[in-house]
Amino acid sequence: MDTIMIDGLSFALPLFIMAIGGIYSERSGIVMLALEGLQGFGAFVGAMTVILSRFYLGNSSPYLIYIAMVAGMIGGSLFSIIHALLCVKFKARQVISGVVVNTLAVALTTFLTSVINGIITGEASNKFQIGVSSRFTVPVLSEIPIFGGLFKNMYPFEIVILVIALYCWYLLYKTKFGLRLRACGENPHSLDAAGGDVGKTQFIAIMICGALSGLGGIFIAYSVSGIFSPTIYMGYGYLSIAALIFGNWKIPRTFAVCLFFGFARSVVYQLLLKLGMPSNYTDLFLILPYVLTLLLLIFFSKHNHPPRAVGEIFDKSKR
Amino acid sequence: MNAKKERVPGNGLGGRIINALDDDRLSQFAIPVVSIILTILAAAALLLVLGKNPATAMTGFLRGSGFMMKPIYGGGQSMLTDFLSFLGILAPMLLAALGIIIGMKSGMFNIGMAGQMLAAGFIATVFVGYSGLNAYLAKPLVILLGILTGGLIGAIIGFLKYRFNIHEVVSSIMFNYIISYIVAFFINTYYKDIITRSSRVCSAASRLSITGVTWGTSKLTLPLGIILALAGVFLVKFLLDRTVVGFEMKAVGLNRDCAKYAGVNVGKSIILAMALSGVFGGLAGVTYYVGYFNSIVPKELASLGYDSIAVALLGNISPIGAIFSSILITIFQKGSIYMSSTVGVPKEIASVITGILLLFSACGTYMRYLARRQRERLADKAKKEGVQ
Amino acid sequence: MSEYIVEMRHITKRFPGIVANDDISIGIKKGEIFAFLGENGAGKSTLMSMLFGMYEPDEGEILVRGEKVKLSSSNEAAALNIGMVHQHFKLVDNYTIAENIILGIEPIKKIGGFIPYVDCKGAQEKIRELSKAYGLEVDPCQIVETVNVSIQQRVEILKMLYREAEILIFDEPTAVLTPQEIQYLLDIMEELRNKGKTIILITHKLEEIKRIADRCAILRRGKLVKVLNVNETTTQEMANLMVGREVVFEQEKSPANFGEVLLEVEDLTVRNEDKFDVVKNVNFSIRRGEIFAIAGVSGNGQIEIADAIAGLIKPQKGAIKLKGKDITDESIRRRTEDGMSYIPEDRQRLGVILDFSLEDNLAIKRYYREPFSQKGILKREGFQKFAEELIDRYDIRSGQGAKTTTRSMSGGNQQKAIVAREISLESDLMIFVQPTRGLDIGAIENIQKHILRERDKGKAVLLISLELDEVMSLADTIGVIYNGELQKISPAEELTTNQVGEYMMGVKS
Repeated sequence: MDTIMIDGLSFALPLFIMAIGGIYSERSGIVMLALEGLQGFGAFVGAMTVILSRFYLGNSSPYLIYIAMVAGMIGGSLFSIIHALLCVKFKARQVISGVVVNTLAVALTTFLTSVINGIITGEASNKFQIGVSSRFTVPVLSEIPIFGGLFKNMYPFEIVILVIALYCWYLLYKTKFGLRLRACGENPHSLDAAGGDVGKTQFIAIMICGALSGLGGIFIAYSVSGIFSPTIYMGYGYLSIAALIFGNWKIPRTFAVCLFFGFARSVVYQLLLKLGMPSNYTDLFLILPYVLTLLLLIFFSKHNHPPRAVGEIFDKSKR
Repeated sequence: MNAKKERVPGNGLGGRIINALDDDRLSQFAIPVVSIILTILAAAALLLVLGKNPATAMTGFLRGSGFMMKPIYGGGQSMLTDFLSFLGILAPMLLAALGIIIGMKSGMFNIGMAGQMLAAGFIATVFVGYSGLNAYLAKPLVILLGILTGGLIGAIIGFLKYRFNIHEVVSSIMFNYIISYIVAFFINTYYKDIITRSSRVCSAASRLSITGVTWGTSKLTLPLGIILALAGVFLVKFLLDRTVVGFEMKAVGLNRDCAKYAGVNVGKSIILAMALSGVFGGLAGVTYYVGYFNSIVPKELASLGYDSIAVALLGNISPIGAIFSSILITIFQKGSIYMSSTVGVPKEIASVITGILLLFSACGTYMRYLARRQRERLADKAKKEGVQ
Repeated sequence: MSEYIVEMRHITKRFPGIVANDDISIGIKKGEIFAFLGENGAGKSTLMSMLFGMYEPDEGEILVRGEKVKLSSSNEAAALNIGMVHQHFKLVDNYTIAENIILGIEPIKKIGGFIPYVDCKGAQEKIRELSKAYGLEVDPCQIVETVNVSIQQRVEILKMLYREAEILIFDEPTAVLTPQEIQYLLDIMEELRNKGKTIILITHKLEEIKRIADRCAILRRGKLVKVLNVNETTTQEMANLMVGREVVFEQEKSPANFGEVLLEVEDLTVRNEDKFDVVKNVNFSIRRGEIFAIAGVSGNGQIEIADAIAGLIKPQKGAIKLKGKDITDESIRRRTEDGMSYIPEDRQRLGVILDFSLEDNLAIKRYYREPFSQKGILKREGFQKFAEELIDRYDIRSGQGAKTTTRSMSGGNQQKAIVAREISLESDLMIFVQPTRGLDIGAIENIQKHILRERDKGKAVLLISLELDEVMSLADTIGVIYNGELQKISPAEELTTNQVGEYMMGVKS
């Protein structure tokens, strides 16, 4: 039971934080298919920073985890500038721009990992071995029956993500910036006429998205898998897009969807273990999240209300 | 409202480039050419940063693809071997790009090329590659299975888009993963070659290439896929330019609402376009897995499926343009192994170059806009000077 | 200090291929209602957009309160207390009225002195006060998409007042309103002037100017024709100056000659995506040789009626019969072949494919038949010949003839192309939705002539127009729609404009 809770949460939260990033971008009117590439690039920068910082701080420094988070967020948001430039400044088609970012991210991170490994170790491996960050258990809460598992063996990431998610919710719904951001996604001309800067708002929204995706990416690399390698591109970004679509572009509902994804996955996984299936069969089981995503999309897509102006290229002179 | 095009005064190179970029007819050539030049400059800069000689690297790409002589060749190898091998991998690249083009013309982005390729390659391998049928039966059957498998998956994606409004990018990515895992499961469970850890090789009779031909001292593999690909180019061009079905697809792609208003059956058109796109994906898959290679590595999607997007965009989403852009991108991809071994840069740089190429191609509209603004500025200046 | 609050001197603005404003000089006095009169494309909106900072003039200068200013964004205009109500409202549909008004200048409060948040409560109070002071009734907590056009316009006006604008620009404010709502708006404008605001009114409607404006500038093809004192002129003089020739106000209309019933709409109900009935149990029929006009304020279900008849949306219930045959479940193509033409409201989204050539667009309803194609293969000569014929007959102007990309054509010529295409189908039923919107007077006359000619040929015409004048001058029968219901169906001669206006607001029933 505890394992289900622990695994479920550690799968759900990176998805969630990336999905929030997607929500920021899409609600500002920019289609965001680049989550996959952004999380990968964030993870790459984070992992690389961990590898490099270890030389100075040693392998067991408690600061590594925080350095990784900051580096991952910076990496993701820097890389997202490409998407922002293409969509906001160059008025490129946003779907294509997303694919450009994903393609570039995969190619660049794989290439740079080889190059950097070549420099550091003399061996052109495409992996950064960074290990798993340390965990902790919340004293009292973890004693609660059934749900106590949620508070056992937590990664520091999980707390950080929850705090940031809460802040993101506040920023989107309660502040001036959020009001303007959401206006961009519904009718950018309204903001323009009211004296707001549509391009700037969208640009910032995309960079926030990049930072959040980067955080999600480094969480996966540093907590779930323990390495950075091309295997990080296994579809987390697309799953979180699916999550935000069921979540109807709203943060609380998306949270519920991510938890559902996470726990559904860990429940099936544990079941398979219990049944003692041979390892080949895990491949078959691994299609479940994707099949589930498709099925859910079939049921939910029609009833959703995406932001009205999402994907439209904002042109001041058009009325 | 149609502005009379004013030429930029002066005949300088800059002026000519600006004119070409903003010309209705010329821009479709000028934009890709500028993208390529910018990409090569960026790649050269990257190589310089790594302390490598860009010129050596570039010739390395050409040598590895059979466009230039290598200094030494191994036994049974020659420039012709390399070039035929280049054509062998060019075929699936071009076929996949054709699939992307059909999709894009109808407003659909078939990013699931790689999955459709894998599925088609796998089905053809299992049902024909392992069957022991003779070549005259096996080869057409491989092609047929490729068409059917790819077409079916494409049609499903189109159906999901039309009926349930599921974005084709999301659904086809989901299909990519599903296909990849299912194929991996079957290969690992039933068809695994213990030594190579990939699927067992398919029979020579079923392969879409003729192996073991000797010419002089070199052993050659004649790729049949390239014929398929070139035929495909003209077929797609004819379809899009000259047929009622193509007219409807383009109408749907440019303005779905108007197409519906005009009486086009939008759902049918979308599904058909995605099915055709998938057909070309399937053909790319069989020429790739049952032609160029003859086995499948489990859990690996061909990066060629994604590179074909760059080919389509760089070729200005036109079938003829795709011939040129696929040659260029294949030179980088195919030549990267040889380049890597001689220059000592990881071969993944080929993907980086493709990515940069894609990046610049996506900026095409902006380049045109910049050129127009620059031209207006120059024209204004000329006018003012004329007045004084 | 000069006598003018706003002065524009020698303003010239060029767009690619067109001079929108050609050396215009004008002065506007504080506390007057100053009108700009001109046809579509005369350059009124461009000129005022420059005063509002949306474009910068290529030549010339702008003075506000006697000082030279450079306006490069609407922010700078707002800082000079200039506000504008745009023709197309710039509102966020799913925001509340209050949120829309404060967008861009949000009042901030802090929880515990350090967590900032947008103070909606405070804003609502302030908006209530403002709305009371100027008689602009709104409920600041309502969501914009749930209120009608007239209230949305009040929100736009309140937006300006909330920003303490002194110079208020109204761009075609009455285009979407009923006569009674227009009355209300004009009263508000006078009220605003009496409180010392300066009002600039952009319009092509002469009666409005006559009623409230003090002075009026007439623009034609980018040039300033004349500035008149309104009480020293007549509407006829203004009209002639605006068009540049004698204007005939009424179309000549021969007496109606009705034939058999062609279209029957029975109990039609249309439900939109939000499960809301936008058309409710509508019944009517149209005979051959009859122009049946549906009058109503925008957004009351008239477009949905047209879309349902044309097959673009599926009705919830009810039946549509063409020549006695039930076509409710037929495909769009089948309906076209049965004899239905449809000129849609949104021509750039529905009517044409902007990136197609003119000839492709002219053939877009018939490309699959001879002479355009044979056995699935297109015959380009057929396209070209047909296009050249229509271009000639309907005087469609374009840069490179049949091969011109439709995007590069002017809106008026795009509209002509659509009208030409639809009339050339020779259908028995013709649906015209807003056929003259955004056209200049010459083109309007022309299209109205075509409509009348089709009626005289014995076609049944369904005309949907927001221009009440157009409805009154063309229709044989008028159906007034309000809130998805046909309030009244009556022969045109039995209704006055004011009566129609009352039905349009659901006052009479």
